[in-house]
Amino acid sequence: MIQPQTHLNVADNSGARELMCIRIIGASNRRYARIGDVIVAVIKEAIPNTPLERSEVIRAVVVRTCKELKRDNGMIIRYDDNAAVIIDQEGNPKGTRIFGAIARELRQKFAKIVSLAPEVL
Amino acid sequence: MGLALMAHNLINVFLPFTGINGGTLISCPSSQLGFRGIKHSDKLPVYSSFRELSSMVSCRAVGSNVNEDTDDMFDDLFEKHGQVVFSRNDQKPYGAEIDDDAESLAFAVAMAKVANEVKAGDIKVLFVKPLVYWTRFFIIATAFSRPQIDAIRTKMADLAEEKFGKIPNGDLKPNSWTLLDFGDAVVHIFLPPQREFYNLEEFYANATSIDLPFEDEKPFRQ
Repeated sequence: MIQPQTHLNVADNSGARELMCIRIIGASNRRYARIGDVIVAVIKEAIPNTPLERSEVIRAVVVRTCKELKRDNGMIIRYDDNAAVIIDQEGNPKGTRIFGAIARELRQKFAKIVSLAPEVL
Repeated sequence: MGLALMAHNLINVFLPFTGINGGTLISCPSSQLGFRGIKHSDKLPVYSSFRELSSMVSCRAVGSNVNEDTDDMFDDLFEKHGQVVFSRNDQKPYGAEIDDDAESLAFAVAMAKVANEVKAGDIKVLFVKPLVYWTRFFIIATAFSRPQIDAIRTKMADLAEEKFGKIPNGDLKPNSWTLLDFGDAVVHIFLPPQREFYNLEEFYANATSIDLPFEDEKPFRQ
């Protein structure tokens, strides 16, 4: 359940550390984003001397949420943090590697993120 | 083990991760617990760390009587059954698995051939099944312009649909990193800078590289 003003960790090596969601892409008045949704976010904290800077507006894909993800087979996955991966307008990830485990639901739309991830649940 | 499992409908498996994220909780009904480790091995029976699981489950299943007796009991079970905990019910026989692999290999090589026909450079086919569970083969190729990427993409999609009856998932427009997901095989077409930037081969360095038939015939030079 990611909504505007939610702070998220960055799960890639793009150089940003923390994001704040400012908009959810989808329907016109969408309330919450889940795993696999694209959000517009602003960088709140970044590592110095990297291409991305603080207060830059970017797009990101939500890859981990504290809110449970339910699968049809009864499996429930929930993570300890909210995290996102920064993408560009074409949908390519800005970083080259992803950190931490991600869910296989991302494969439908973001197979590139899945192929860079170390663990797929 | 069976007894211990029956005592609970839900098993919570806590996977601690180092780094930014703290951890992940997966819970699922025990009847569906086809638990496979995330790092997959190519062995058929699924092994899990018996001691780890038993230490989590036993303390609740046996209740207050957690002491050396239970350890002895588990040790006896160890000796009797070895470290096999359980295997998936939907496991295919060994032969079927090999057949599937051969079929996907034929498909992957056919895709690599298409890439070669459209003059893609530095084509590699990697057998990634031992490393990731979600696919079997990676085909990585470099194209030198977006129209070329488009040509490779359409030609691959046409051939896959005609000959193998597969429809790709993934990018619909030529992109600097175009990905075609055929299920068993995933095709990555890069422009040269992106290929260097993402460096997928290094990430999947442990995967076996498949020799391609056309490589000997006419080596491609940039």
